[in-house]
Amino acid sequence: MSSASHKAESPEYPPLAIESVSKHFGGITAVDDVSLSADAGEVVGVIGPNGSGKSTLFSLAAGGQKPDTGKIRLQGIDVTGWPTWKIARTGISRTFQIPSLFLNMTVRDNLLAAAVEGDWKRARERMESTLEMLEISHVVDNLASELSGGQQKLVEFGRVCVRDPKVILLDEVTAGVHPNIRQIILDAIQRLRKTGITFLVIEHDMEMVKEICDRLMVMDQGKVVAEGDFDTIASDSKVQQAYLGRT
Amino acid sequence: MASKPVLTPKLIVRALLIGAVVIALTVLPAFIDSYTLRIATGALMWAGLACAWNIVGGYAGYISFGHSAFFGIGAYTTAILMQSNIGASFFVTLLPAIILSIAVAVAIGGPTMRLRGAYFAIATWAFAEMLLQLATVLDFTGGTAGLSLPAYLNEFFFYYTMLIASAASFIGVWLLIERSRFGFRIKALRDDEPAAESLGIRTNLVKVQSFALSAAITALFGSIYAYWTTYIDPYSVMGPEITDQMVVMVLLGGLGTVWGPALGGVLLWITNRYIWSTFGDTVIYLPILGVIIALVVLFLPNGLISLIVGRQRGKELISRILGKL
Ligand SMILES: Nc1ncnc2c1ncn2[C@@H]1O[C@H](COP(=O)(O)OP(=O)(O)OP(=O)(O)O)[C@@H](O)[C@H]1O
Ligand SMILES: [Mg+2]
Repeated sequence: MSSASHKAESPEYPPLAIESVSKHFGGITAVDDVSLSADAGEVVGVIGPNGSGKSTLFSLAAGGQKPDTGKIRLQGIDVTGWPTWKIARTGISRTFQIPSLFLNMTVRDNLLAAAVEGDWKRARERMESTLEMLEISHVVDNLASELSGGQQKLVEFGRVCVRDPKVILLDEVTAGVHPNIRQIILDAIQRLRKTGITFLVIEHDMEMVKEICDRLMVMDQGKVVAEGDFDTIASDSKVQQAYLGRT
Repeated sequence: MASKPVLTPKLIVRALLIGAVVIALTVLPAFIDSYTLRIATGALMWAGLACAWNIVGGYAGYISFGHSAFFGIGAYTTAILMQSNIGASFFVTLLPAIILSIAVAVAIGGPTMRLRGAYFAIATWAFAEMLLQLATVLDFTGGTAGLSLPAYLNEFFFYYTMLIASAASFIGVWLLIERSRFGFRIKALRDDEPAAESLGIRTNLVKVQSFALSAAITALFGSIYAYWTTYIDPYSVMGPEITDQMVVMVLLGGLGTVWGPALGGVLLWITNRYIWSTFGDTVIYLPILGVIIALVVLFLPNGLISLIVGRQRGKELISRILGKL
């Protein structure tokens, strides 16, 4: 291993560092000067009311959209402004709030497509272990369009796992799924974090947030309004105001 | 990839079937008259052309309305290089024809395939139209009078050349799309481009690669066609009906399937010849194409091939691709 890459993976460079990013859409400031750094194996929850900029923040981190100002670093590498595919290959993977499976492909092909830019020789092996972990082996030959909503969420989650990234962003991956499937996803997150994978999860389900997140970041109208562990956040007046005050 | 080939009964049946078709096509010329042989040669060509269009239209999901341009580039490159002042032999002309078509595909696809499919559809159509008009006025293309090529009147040669070119196209596409990483990339970007990008797939590159491959195969058939017919003019090798026919053949046979375009190509070409020999011209052919498109889109979204092999995919694929426009 070269000294440069060794240095890039040493603890002084967090797997993901978001530095003062902002994003405007016309008159709206969707993300307003947000910073966030996450360590290896950490699970950070991103919560906030609808339209507070959570999904946009994920797009900025994963490259689907470019920040107007600020920087995104992965293991210390400044990837700001890079094309999405290149950022993805640097080790970040995301799910989408709106399901985005390859509907004309089977579950098997959806998972293999996720491995196509990685270690192809081990793709099948990785696919099998992901199928097993998520308990979807029985639908492997089904077209993605034939799956139930919950199964689609699982496959979408499976796709990011197959890639073996260092950072995984989950955008409401358990929204609207059966408790059994939610549990499968929770267990998988717990298992993967032990291997050093960093998670950012957007969640509206406070029980789940409490169960898996090491710490939380609360957004409102594009800004970070609070940070800390679950109990601190739960008793924070600004958070209560963000959730209750404006509806 | 570590896939273990297992000889299932299904695979054996399929292999036997393909073997039978190959043998039948190889010995066919011994049993038919020269008129029928010409129709068979044309059927092979159109099957290959449909296969080529399907790469970019059916797999990448970008509808090209300008493939006649690549057919024409192939035909004119071969015709021009075989004129007596240059005197190249036929096979030597194939390489420049393919290279030129790839260069043009990259030049058109590079900027337009980043955008929605409608821009690509319009750009390809406009380019083909421009090339057609240019060919009618330029000197070295022979203007409206066209160009004659050295005649090589050996129908067997052209039948087997088309057979090899067509078989190579289908086997190549099958290997590339169904048996390699490229196939996952291209189908993923067709179904969901942002998701494909988020998995590290360089979608803009893959799209242009697919267009270039499609263009190269189309040009190859244009080259063979020019030598076969010994005379070309702008409308015979760049007319819009060439593209129309490719599109309808793919829709009829099965968009985004490996064997559908072959089926659609052969069936539609035989229909075309039948109408031509029965009615003396092909005026009613274009309305028939229109009706076929409407019927397929409405009732048989996966084409005729879905009646024979594979399962029904519903309307997702065709609506996805049309939705890209
Ligand atoms: N592509 C876009 N163009 C214009 N405005 C956008 C775009 N994407 C997001 N926005 C706006 O930015 C703001 C933040 O949206 P975002 O989707 O990030 O919120 P969110 O926190 O994920 O909400 P939710 O909980 O409903 O998913 C909203 O006002 C939204 O309308
Ligand atoms: Mg959101």
